[in-house]
Amino acid sequence: MERKEIIEKIRIILVTVLKHDEFEMREDLTAAAVAGWDSLSHMMIVTEIENEFNIRFKLKELNKLENLHSLIDLVQSKL
Amino acid sequence: MPLHSFEFILFLSLVFILYWSLFKNSARAQNTLLTAASLFFYGWADWRFLSLLVFSVLFNFYTGKAIRRSATKTRQYLLYLGLAVNIGILFYFKYFHFFYGSFLRFFNGYEPDARYGALNIILPLGISFFTFQAIGYLVDLYKEEMEPAPGLLSFATYMTYFPKMTAGPIERAENFLPRIAVRREFNRTRTVDGLRQILWGSFTKLVIANNCATFTTPVFDNYDHLSGSTLLLGAFFYLFQVYCDFSGYSNIAIGISKLFGIDLMRNFAAPFFSTNIRDYWKKWHISLSSWMMHYVFTPISFTLRRYHKTGLILSIIITFLVIGLWHGANWTFILFGLLHGLYFIPLILASKPISRTTSGQNPASAPAKKAHPGPSPRQGLQMLGLFILVMLTLIVFGADSVSQAIHYIGRLFSPSLFSKPSFPVEQGIGGTKTLLTILFILALMTVEWIQKNKNHEMQIDDIKHPALRIGIYYTLILAILLFGSVVHIYFMYAQF
Repeated sequence: MERKEIIEKIRIILVTVLKHDEFEMREDLTAAAVAGWDSLSHMMIVTEIENEFNIRFKLKELNKLENLHSLIDLVQSKL
Repeated sequence: MPLHSFEFILFLSLVFILYWSLFKNSARAQNTLLTAASLFFYGWADWRFLSLLVFSVLFNFYTGKAIRRSATKTRQYLLYLGLAVNIGILFYFKYFHFFYGSFLRFFNGYEPDARYGALNIILPLGISFFTFQAIGYLVDLYKEEMEPAPGLLSFATYMTYFPKMTAGPIERAENFLPRIAVRREFNRTRTVDGLRQILWGSFTKLVIANNCATFTTPVFDNYDHLSGSTLLLGAFFYLFQVYCDFSGYSNIAIGISKLFGIDLMRNFAAPFFSTNIRDYWKKWHISLSSWMMHYVFTPISFTLRRYHKTGLILSIIITFLVIGLWHGANWTFILFGLLHGLYFIPLILASKPISRTTSGQNPASAPAKKAHPGPSPRQGLQMLGLFILVMLTLIVFGADSVSQAIHYIGRLFSPSLFSKPSFPVEQGIGGTKTLLTILFILALMTVEWIQKNKNHEMQIDDIKHPALRIGIYYTLILAILLFGSVVHIYFMYAQF
């Protein structure tokens, strides 16, 4: 799957879970900088991404995520 | 050494002068002074437990080092050992009485007080705070989320640092250690800002919390003779008492730390302007709730994620039970946590749109809103609803037992709710003090609303006119001198 496609799928998940009208996928964006992206919604996002791409994360991998860029990289590495 | 005592002011002044004179030349010298002063501060409060604190520092420092150096399997055992020792100490001092008593009551059916009372275990100061910091440190090292403290001295400074020692904020080592790794330079603006924050914290504690206490103490003691309206007023004041006591303490602690050039994390951010429970816990005791979400909620919810919303609900309830139990060994705290956990269920089930009034808005996606002088009617109703829900849990928090809490709430919702409230004698004739306290609470809420986008309520450096700033200082000092009460000089959360 192309990176562009992954980004679009993640964007749709973020928009749905976080209930944002739109979401500009800046790769340097951190969870802390996004309204509503807290521990609770983080777990919802993680579950949605796992289901969407049919992949499984490890907690250790999630703990090391720094921003959207590393999340996209992680997803890509599992496909 | 209470923060509002002559001894503490003398101690603080002396450490401040030494820190910025004889010890100012290196981070090492500064940390040495802070650690020595902190150990002195702790020893002054209770010298018997100084050895426990020193043990905790040494044990966690060397265990952390060993965790980082070891191979996978040994690492895991070392982490378990570290957790067992830390939780074991906390359990012995804080929860042993409770579980032992509950156990005897359950299996033997007799009132255990007389028998286990002989154990008489005293709670070491700040144990819940420094133990949780140590646990977080070991877990972070295990998960390779941070590097170990560069040396014993910096770790000791992190663990013992006196402004946050007795009642937080619970700082994560990952955030705190880099701040003390470099030499702090004196900064006048920061020092003044710290002093302003101390002044505000002293005002909310001495004026609001302590005046609320003169109302709530007799109300909780005699609740079974009082009208519903008096109990409602009592619950209202108790919520503000806890809030102003603990946020007051936090402001003082953060302010004191600024005097040493070290920023501590924010612990409260105008929680009563939240429109749902999720927002509320991002603004109330932030250092504890974020700690719990990171170390308790995330691993549990990750394990249970295939159960979707049921998994999330279960994880949040477990997390809030731990938050409740963190406060102390009493069923009231467990019920308090359970209620807060249950409050999350509608939010998770409905996954309602997330409020965007919180700080940290995403500029990329949140549309600009028109500045509003106050909350909209809908927001106002949501705030009021949440306030009432939280107030009810605080009755449970403040009661001696669950049955007392249930009776209190039962009486509150009786027909006498619509009668004229009575005022305890401590409140002056006709409740003049009560009215005054309500006025102070209104002033507090107004200041919090105006300053809601600032780092703290007294961040007033944008007021350019010195006369206005000085006017604010004098008003607060005058309020403390005229209406402040030093009857309850100790802070509530120092007992947790």
